[in-house]
Parts: sequence; structure tokens; C-alpha cells
Amino acid sequence: MAKISVSNLNPGMKLSKPVVNEANMILFGEGTVLTEAHIERLHNMNINSVQVEGDSKPKKAKEEVLAELDARFKKTENEPYMGILKKLFIDHIEELYK
Amino acid sequence: MDIQNLRSQIEKVDTLPTMPSVLKKLLKVIENPKVSLNEIGNFISSDPVLTTRVLKVVNSPIYGFPGRISSVSQALILLGLNVVRGMLLGVSVFEVMERAMVGLWEHSMGCAVTARIIAQKKGVKEPEEISVAALLHDIGKVVLSLKFTDEYKDILNNAEKNGLYISEAEKAHFSITHAEAGAWIAQKWNFPKSLIEVIEYHHKPHLSKNIPVQSAIVHLADILIQARGFGFSGNNFVPPVHPAAWQALNLSETDMKEILIEMEEVLEQAEDFLISSE
Repeated sequence: MAKISVSNLNPGMKLSKPVVNEANMILFGEGTVLTEAHIERLHNMNINSVQVEGDSKPKKAKEEVLAELDARFKKTENEPYMGILKKLFIDHIEELYK
Repeated sequence: MDIQNLRSQIEKVDTLPTMPSVLKKLLKVIENPKVSLNEIGNFISSDPVLTTRVLKVVNSPIYGFPGRISSVSQALILLGLNVVRGMLLGVSVFEVMERAMVGLWEHSMGCAVTARIIAQKKGVKEPEEISVAALLHDIGKVVLSLKFTDEYKDILNNAEKNGLYISEAEKAHFSITHAEAGAWIAQKWNFPKSLIEVIEYHHKPHLSKNIPVQSAIVHLADILIQARGFGFSGNNFVPPVHPAAWQALNLSETDMKEILIEMEEVLEQAEDFLISSE
């Protein structure tokens, strides 16, 4: 599933989530295969982006995420409870990348 | 500059400069403590741009009922006056926040989402009020950077260069931090008392006498969202949790794990919301 700007849509793409307007009325249902006319209408309705099926944007590598976490905690990891907090985040990230 | 002088300078920020005139009027309406829900509702509904923004925000992940509120009056009934007052402020500082500091809006919104999750975990009544307090906890940064734009840039640079927390750099320059500045402006704008207290004590929740739990929740949310690396608060390092606040909240390891997982889910929606607001 990927979020994609309306200007990058092509006919044939399939919605993975319904498109709603500001009042949350459904304009196009999930699973709609977009045509030129649909895309034109999305443009006219000032919709910025929609969810379509396909690959999501590439995720950061786990090592990079952990290195960033490490850098953020550098100053405080020895303060009370901050070690526990850091450990919780490390476990959480490991879990996410399983 | 002495503190009294600084305070009166900050209090002169009575409106936010980029705010369109309708928002200026709105501030007047919501500053009036006697204003009724109906009056606010009518006021908002009379302006299509404002209505759109309000509906967008109430249906955002901040409040946890995305996609269910379709009218302003429904929003007012569901959220209550205090929450709507705070939220309208949130709506109106949206752009200014982003201009003040890139990433501050994401930080604030992430903090609001996280605070609601913790509040629900602790079974606190009215988690939406805590959300709003979390959304506005850094309003002092907005005001300081509006009023002292160049100086605030120096403060941010100083924090980055010398490995200081933003509060330390603010204190070195102004002898106060954004927490005090935020509380001053919140008093001046007649925010609800509980909101002022959270803004003032979000770094020192143990000093919050009337609503220690709410203040501790926003304090922890502020730290968790920075630890998660969502948005930018001005800090390059995660600030320490106040031990008394951590103990008072008494969250088990399982609670914390669940909070982090829920954060992940809601932040994903929040990112979508941020993209669609661009």
C-alpha cells in the first residue's frame, strides 16, 4: 500500500483505501480501479493524495533506526529510568522489523 | 532584559501575525469565558474555511475518532467547550508553528496523540483535554520565536552546537524557558486553568498542584515522542524523564510496550494526515 500524490496517479492503479471528501463522504470506494476520468475528478476536487495498492515507500534499515535512537539517547541514557526507556524502544524496534 | 519587561513584551503578542482576520475574531469569541457552545458553533459555521479546518482537525488522529464527525455542532458536543477552544487555537497556530520551527507541528501533534494513548491507558477521564494540552504545550516556543525571531534562531543554533537542550539555551538567553513564556501567553489569552498548568509544568510535572497526573502524562508523552524521533522539538537529544512523574504514572513494562505499539499505529495515520494537509 502506498500513499501517492494525485498528480502522480496513472489509470489502472487500484485504490487500497476509500477516498473521502472533507465531510468524510466516500467519493471512491476501496478497490476502485482508476480511469482518466476518475483522476481528472480527483484533481478538480482538490484531493492531494490517495492510497493505492503497491509497494510502500522504502523503510529505513533497522540498523539506521537503531543508530539514530542511540544518538538521541546519548545525553540522557544514564539518567534515572532513561535506560529502561531506551531498552523499551530498542525492543520495540526489533519487534517492528521482525 | 528583565523578566517583567520580557513578560510584557510576550503578552503583547495578542494575535498571531499570519492569522487571517477571521481567526482574530475567533480568538475574541473564545477568549470570552461566558461564550456558549452555540455561539462558537455559529461563528465557526459562518466561515467555510474555518469549518473545513475544524472538521479536518477533529477527524484527525489527534482525537481518536477519525472519520466520524461531519458537522461543527457534532464536534462541539462530542469534544466539549474546553477542548474546542484549545483545538481552535491549535488550528490557528498550525501554520505559525511550522514557520517558527520546522517539525514543531509534527512534534506537537505526535505529543497530543501519545498523551491521549497514555491517558486512556491510565483510565483518565476526558483524554481529549489532555490531548489539547499536549498539542499546545510548546506554544511558548511559537511565541518566543515570533517575538524574538533572530534571537530564537541563535538559541536553536546554540543548542545544536553545544549539545544543550532547547530549554537550557532559552534560559541562558532569556533567563526563562518556553514553559514560562507559554504560561504567560496562555494566562493572557484566558486559557482554561488546567491548560495553563500543563503548559507551565510540562518539564516539572511534580510542581503541578491541581492536575499532577495530566501534567505528568504530557511530560511523558513529550519525552516518548522525542525518543521515537517524530517531528522536531528543538532538542537534538531526548530530555530526561522526571523521576517523580515516572513513578507517579507507574506504568508497567507491558503498559509501556502497548503504548509504543499504539503510538506506531496512530502516528502512521498522523503522517497521512500531515501529508494530506500540505
